[in-house]
Amino acid sequence: LSNDLKLSYTVSPHLRSKNNVQQAMYDVIIALLPISAVAVYFFGINAVFAIAVCLAAAVLTDLGFKKMLGRSHTPFDGSALVTGLLIALTFSVETSWWTLVVATVIGVGVAKELMGGLGWNRFNPALFGRVSGILFASLFFNQLNITFAPLSYTPAPIDTVTQATPLALLKMGAEMPAMSQMFIANQGGALAEVSPLALLIGGVYLFVRGHIKWHIPVSIIATVFLFGLIFEGPQLALYHVLAGGLMIGALYMATDWVTSPVTPKGMVIFGVAIGILIMVFRLFLTPTEGTAFSILILNAFVPMIDRLTKRPVFGEAPARVQTPEASTVVAGKPA
Amino acid sequence: VTVKSFDRGVFLPHYKEFSENEPITTISLPSEVVIPLQQHIGAPCSAVVKVGDRVKTGQKIGDSEAFVSAAVFASVDGTVVAIEPRPSFTGAKVESVVIEVAPEQEEPKWADRDVTQLSNDQIKQAIKDAGIVGMGGAAFPTHVKLSPPKPIDAIIINACECEPFLTCDHRLSVEMTEELVEGARLIQKLVNADKLYFGVETNKPDAIEALNSKVEGEDSIEVIALDVKYPQGSEKQLIKAVLNREVPPGKLPLDVGVVVHNVGTAVAVYEACRYEKPLYERVLTLTGDGAAKPCNVKVPIGTPIGHVIEQCGGFKDFTGAEGEVFNGKVIMGGPMTGFAQDNLDVPVVKGTSGILIFSEEMLVKNEHMPCVRCARCVDHCPMYLYPNSISVNAERGLYREAVEWGAMDCFECGICVYVCPSNRPIVHLVRETKVKANAAK
Repeated sequence: LSNDLKLSYTVSPHLRSKNNVQQAMYDVIIALLPISAVAVYFFGINAVFAIAVCLAAAVLTDLGFKKMLGRSHTPFDGSALVTGLLIALTFSVETSWWTLVVATVIGVGVAKELMGGLGWNRFNPALFGRVSGILFASLFFNQLNITFAPLSYTPAPIDTVTQATPLALLKMGAEMPAMSQMFIANQGGALAEVSPLALLIGGVYLFVRGHIKWHIPVSIIATVFLFGLIFEGPQLALYHVLAGGLMIGALYMATDWVTSPVTPKGMVIFGVAIGILIMVFRLFLTPTEGTAFSILILNAFVPMIDRLTKRPVFGEAPARVQTPEASTVVAGKPA
Repeated sequence: VTVKSFDRGVFLPHYKEFSENEPITTISLPSEVVIPLQQHIGAPCSAVVKVGDRVKTGQKIGDSEAFVSAAVFASVDGTVVAIEPRPSFTGAKVESVVIEVAPEQEEPKWADRDVTQLSNDQIKQAIKDAGIVGMGGAAFPTHVKLSPPKPIDAIIINACECEPFLTCDHRLSVEMTEELVEGARLIQKLVNADKLYFGVETNKPDAIEALNSKVEGEDSIEVIALDVKYPQGSEKQLIKAVLNREVPPGKLPLDVGVVVHNVGTAVAVYEACRYEKPLYERVLTLTGDGAAKPCNVKVPIGTPIGHVIEQCGGFKDFTGAEGEVFNGKVIMGGPMTGFAQDNLDVPVVKGTSGILIFSEEMLVKNEHMPCVRCARCVDHCPMYLYPNSISVNAERGLYREAVEWGAMDCFECGICVYVCPSNRPIVHLVRETKVKANAAK
């Protein structure tokens, strides 16, 4: 009998759930479909172009860096696609394609692969790429823009009149779009800023699928709203929640598994701290990039938060119900 | 009915349908039984027979002077043909008594005592003489557990059977309810506990009903319906669910006034006290999607698992014809904590609750990815540990850090590996950490 048996000999446990990283990554992409669709609705072929550039750059960077770092054997986990799509969504359609490429290469290549690959990166790759793109833009992108001008390409002419972000409008004291319109769909700013509702639908999907918990998004949004309420009143507080990168940041960037705390308690601390920082940026420093910088700064504190919020082991917490007094029990059984 | 539970843990597919309605049966004897001299936690036994001796069913063949040990018995009539190291279910070789089974078997004759007349000393002696150990898998000598150095106010009979697939405790609860309850009463009397609880998961309504009908109207006995959640049958989680007491790290249930015993153990205690019958056979479940005829069988200790499989219909869709290969897995114990086997000569021991046969579809892959900190293991860990940090640190040889994140409090239930989207070998890394940490002491 035993000659024809090829028995698998592995350590316990011998059962597995259906959870897997690839599926989770594809779920994030599914969650980002509604916002991508609204962006395409508003910006048309230009949005499609930007997304395509970032996805292609992300996949090529992933393959290239893995080859360079001798990590080619690792299976394609889909995280590069998520990073690429998120980067595309954080830029406006006016952005030159080489800015998108630079941001994506830095996000996927430097922030993720050079840091040791998926799981080892300390900073959210998409935000790291996005912020690098912005910083480099002011440093030498003007020169790049001149050099690459002949190569510049946009599939369709851009109507620049409607591009100012609501948050900038808010700062300038200009007339703002109606609240309901801003929530459902409003053309302006980056691709991901066009519809908080679409972002929320995707966020709910991730929550239902068990990929994210409510703690981080809710604590960020609640903190931002509360600070807005205190400093600027209810009307503007709502704008603070709906405008800019807050929604995509709170729902998709701050909830990134690798770069956020692992316990609900840590998540709330992380979220509240991000919310406070965002409002410090928005109220006192710069009207843009507040969300991105705040999340990146808190990313650095995640190991510390995990340590500080370390929960007691089962049976370690003193307050839990213990044995009744020995006096109530008949004693006297020798060992 | 209120259903009690513990925090965290995970809902697993039950897979009980294969064998839960199969009454306990018996199988024919093998030609040879291999009885390891150590089937328990504690000191190994020394053989008290020698090669060439004729032995009878129930005859003591191994014993030890040590307190923490349990005697072993011949499970058949036959002749001792060897006393030598033989492979055991853990993969290690264990000194074993090999008995050639005699063609004619005599029906063993047992005493018939009135268990209500037994003194505590007599009960304890009967348990020790019968070599009873915890039959849920841990195989800790029962007489040691029943000599607690501290007062005990509650006995919990563990009828959870929280591991998927296994149904032998379920069948015992339904078919031998009387023996189970009487055995539990003996245990309760022995440690002088005020309360006796039966903890049963709600996916065994017939067991709950059977137990309730036996103990109705008794204030000191209660049947507790428990959530079907893994690892409900782990001692600490069971005590938490039933009594809302937490056993501190490094402590034992008796430190919170509780002793937990498995269903099979309670039945064995009853049989030891009434019939003076030693523990030389046990009920186990042979099941799995690769088993031709899943069943619950009473098997003599020492029976090679290959014989049990063969007698129970063998492998599903596998005839053993020329060129045919069975790609699958054979596991001793449950699917979450059991041991995979590559040698079917390994014998059934006192702690063997099941033999699982998995088809190729149930096999798990070996490849794993880095930890992505999804925190599913942290969410589900019933000991509130950080399996993510344990595995990441242990993988890089940082065992001290792995200990800081709780490796030593892990009882290797396997949930973290089950839920891990990266298929990380966390249990393996925990074991590695324990070995390194103990060596460093």
